[in-house]
Amino acid sequence: MDVALSKNGARLLRAFFALVVVFLYAPIVILLIFSFNNSAVPSFPLSGFTFHWYHEFLANPDLKAALETSGIIAALSSVGAVVLGLLAAMALTRRRFVGKSAVSALLLSPLVIPYVVFGISLLLFFHTVGVPRSVLTVVIGHIVISVPYTLLVLVPRLNQIDVSLEEAAFDLGASRLRTFRSITLPLIVPAVVSAFLIAFTTSFDEYAVASFVVGTRVTFPIYLYSALRFPSQLPQVIAVAVVVLVLSLVVVVAAEVGRRIVERRFASLESS
Amino acid sequence: MALSEVHDPPARLGRRRWLRLDLTTPTLLGLPLAWLVVFFLAPIAIVAAYSFDVYSLNPGPHGFTLTAWHDFLHSSVYLRLFWKSVKLSLTVSAIIVLLAYPLAYYLALSGTKRKYILLLLLIAPFLTSYLLRVLAWKVILGNQGAVNTFLFWTGLRSPDHPLSQLLYSRFAVMLVLGYIWLPFVALPIFVSLESLDRRLLEAASDLGASRLQAFRRVTLPLSLPGVVAAFLFVFIPTLGEFVTPSLVGGASGYLYGNQIVDLFGTGFPDWETGSVLAIFLLGVVGALTIVFARFLQPGEVTVD
Repeated sequence: MDVALSKNGARLLRAFFALVVVFLYAPIVILLIFSFNNSAVPSFPLSGFTFHWYHEFLANPDLKAALETSGIIAALSSVGAVVLGLLAAMALTRRRFVGKSAVSALLLSPLVIPYVVFGISLLLFFHTVGVPRSVLTVVIGHIVISVPYTLLVLVPRLNQIDVSLEEAAFDLGASRLRTFRSITLPLIVPAVVSAFLIAFTTSFDEYAVASFVVGTRVTFPIYLYSALRFPSQLPQVIAVAVVVLVLSLVVVVAAEVGRRIVERRFASLESS
Repeated sequence: MALSEVHDPPARLGRRRWLRLDLTTPTLLGLPLAWLVVFFLAPIAIVAAYSFDVYSLNPGPHGFTLTAWHDFLHSSVYLRLFWKSVKLSLTVSAIIVLLAYPLAYYLALSGTKRKYILLLLLIAPFLTSYLLRVLAWKVILGNQGAVNTFLFWTGLRSPDHPLSQLLYSRFAVMLVLGYIWLPFVALPIFVSLESLDRRLLEAASDLGASRLQAFRRVTLPLSLPGVVAAFLFVFIPTLGEFVTPSLVGGASGYLYGNQIVDLFGTGFPDWETGSVLAIFLLGVVGALTIVFARFLQPGEVTVD
């Protein structure tokens, strides 16, 4: 007898699970359907199949510019966040120092700050020090909110790997930097990649903080938000939404599967 | 002996001293800490300064004063709005924790072989665009949206009387927030159930406990930290939420976060009052975080 679940209980829970999955994906599927619907208003009954909205958004220069801006911001901020996260994670896992718990609390605290508060804080900060809002101010904010995510990925991985490998390299005369480059970094590459991906997607999708510190070059979420107010733009926004949602689902799944495969390989190497 | 010689090869020392950027603790921590202090703590301090009128948008004399705080604490409008947000966030968090628990239970304890695939299936929507998932509900819930036009089409409802309460309502805000956070909530609960020692359940069963008793006396208490963490992981961010209410909330879904944004908006900006509202929210969230810190420990990050 299974101690946790009866047969009927398991069946019931499986049905409930399926129901929730349908609820989670139905809105995305509905967007997918409307993105091919030949009507300016996304409504039933469906009136015909078209690629028109996809053509329209591909030809929309504002949209393209916004996607490009978000790409640049996400690239810069994710590199920045991974570098800062990696430095901090090395200190937290490999060093002893006074106030470690305070330091880690500070580095993780952007996780719990309401974004509206952080957004206005940055707004007032840049206003006070006289820095005009631009792509750079968004990058600065996005690095702050991405650092904790990179730590959540990197620290557990650094704790997993066998420190004696690093000690061996160090004893053999490698400097700490060399040890890091030749031993530590190769072992944590999968975690670094997923930290980078998390930081990238966090930034690419971030609206709340960006809305306060964005300059004249709008980001993709900010473009979307303003486009939502114009019904005539809705169908092409839906088409973009479908592309972005499907792409990000694919990236998420691929990253997770890839990480699992690589780490399993490492695990078997380390144990052999 | 030999080791120290290896570490300071005398021939190279002088020439490459400037390159010996070694990974000492200050080197490692300097940049991340400086970044957080300058771009995170200092900005918050400036908001606090605005709330005490040390800084001001208005020209003319100003200095430390508690006026804005006094006005805030005696204003029924702002506090009522805050209370409305608290209630809404509490309701949403409670409902989705209740919904997520059986999901996590199924994944962790049913012995299904595909549990990580199913977990990924559950979590994946959370990792896609937030704004676009809100957009999807706007398309679905509107008067001319998917639900209503579907009802018209099938004749269940006449086009003159759409279900107009679907969009721009408190209900819409709760539905969308629940939709967005549900996958995420399942995660901490799953982790706590996953680490549960099944032998405890077997022992309970051997000693004559029914499944329900074993659940009540063993599983539930042991998974409670995960439940509390899940609850807070939703409650904290939704408390200051302004994006979802501004897109699907309308007037009745207007929340505390929207009020903060509007006080910094282009219409009639009032940075002092806005700063007070922001710092108050931060204080509440900070207090919650500290009180429940032991539930929020993201596992191994705070090791020593």
